[in-house]
Amino acid sequence: MDRTAFLSRVEAYRNAGWRLALINATTVMAAEGEEEGAFELAWGFARDGRPGEGADEAAGTLELIRETVKLGEEVPSVSGFFGAAFLYENELRELFGIDVTGIEVDLKGQLYKTATRIPFSHRAVRERLEREARS
Amino acid sequence: MKRTVIPFGPQHPVLPEPLVLDLILEDERVVDAVPTIGYIHRGLEMMVEKVEYTEMGFVVERICGICSFMHGMGYCAAIESIMDVEVPERARWLRLIWAEISRIQSHLLWLGLAADAFGFENLFMQVWRMREEVLDIFEQTTGGRIIHSVNRIGGVKRDISDSELAAILARLETLGRDFGTATRVFAKDPSIAHRLGGVGVLTEEEARAVDAVGPMARASGVVMDTRLSGAHLYDRLDFEPVIETAGDCLARVLVRLREVEQSIDLIRQAIDRMPKGEGLPLDNRPRGNPQGEVFTRLEQPRGEVLYYVKANGTKFLERFRARTPTFANIPAMIKLVKGCDLADVPNIILTIDPCISCTER
Repeated sequence: MDRTAFLSRVEAYRNAGWRLALINATTVMAAEGEEEGAFELAWGFARDGRPGEGADEAAGTLELIRETVKLGEEVPSVSGFFGAAFLYENELRELFGIDVTGIEVDLKGQLYKTATRIPFSHRAVRERLEREARS
Repeated sequence: MKRTVIPFGPQHPVLPEPLVLDLILEDERVVDAVPTIGYIHRGLEMMVEKVEYTEMGFVVERICGICSFMHGMGYCAAIESIMDVEVPERARWLRLIWAEISRIQSHLLWLGLAADAFGFENLFMQVWRMREEVLDIFEQTTGGRIIHSVNRIGGVKRDISDSELAAILARLETLGRDFGTATRVFAKDPSIAHRLGGVGVLTEEEARAVDAVGPMARASGVVMDTRLSGAHLYDRLDFEPVIETAGDCLARVLVRLREVEQSIDLIRQAIDRMPKGEGLPLDNRPRGNPQGEVFTRLEQPRGEVLYYVKANGTKFLERFRARTPTFANIPAMIKLVKGCDLADVPNIILTIDPCISCTER
């Protein structure tokens, strides 16, 4: 991902008064012939208000920034722009194993207690699917 | 100054569910709080790997016993959006009515817990007595008091006859008058004002900075309510979000008090405006498997919930995600407890109305 372009888009949302509604990740398994999978990431920004009321044309909408990152690729934190981002970013680290750098409140792996370490990592998902197929 | 770490939860008299926070104190003042999620984490999102999308609704509505109906509604709306299903109008109105009944019962539950937390057991008892009546309505119309299973992809499973709707409205209006007595106590009692007024203040600027949602944000003067977007037929109802500006624990109580009255009014409007008659279509069940992705939003009692569904044309979804309002309000909660006295922590935490089941999805 283009780190500078990404952060400037996030900053633009912040400056325009959008709210961070979520950061979401999806594990994408490697296709046949490919060596490793990836993660689809989405940053959702909401604009509150009633559509068509007032001058805000974006009122009531949700917009997304999407990026696909490879395993091990660094993802910059947006917690400097949005105060709530640290929670989602710690989640990305602990549930998906995504390397988010520069999180303002780094919970150092203490956010989630899970039976499986990094439950949405490619390895964990593959093992579950294989186990399911065997049964 | 020497720092002390006090574990708050998972078991605590004020918590209905096991929240875990490590409070870091200097003397009696909280200087930091570290949340931990996972004490009862169930991995429900992971179940899409082995539960078919048609059955997944039953799992989703078990994310939480308080918001059960609305979780089912949000999941079905997401699948319907991907599969381009048009839900019959009466079914959409019925969903809205059940959603507002859910809001009433959730707020009554919370108001009772709040009363108990600040030591007003009689008020707790009265509010929960009223909530039982709302659960009776759920039982009468869906067959379940907590888990309703009345949503299905494409519509709803059961109708409520026009005469039943009239009776429900009459019952809710009686409840509303009864609730007025409790409202006066919450809003006017000097001991409650003393305990909650000026405690745990989140200013509008701070609420925006931590992206708070729901009554938590509205009590700080932020005009935000996902229902304003007009989805799920809310564009056909007349309402304005309930806003308070003090941003303290008392303001969060007042917002929920007024939202109970507002929900009764929305149900009245919905019954007036929905198509009448027996035997109207209630569902439009799709064929095949979904392919595509969608983000959908609802305004749950605790605030905005967001669902992400990604489907790949098979009977198993590729990804299901629920971003619940309590999860979104954790940064606000941490912001509030930093700097407060240890004795105020229970009330402050309770006033975000934490739903740990939702967070521990």
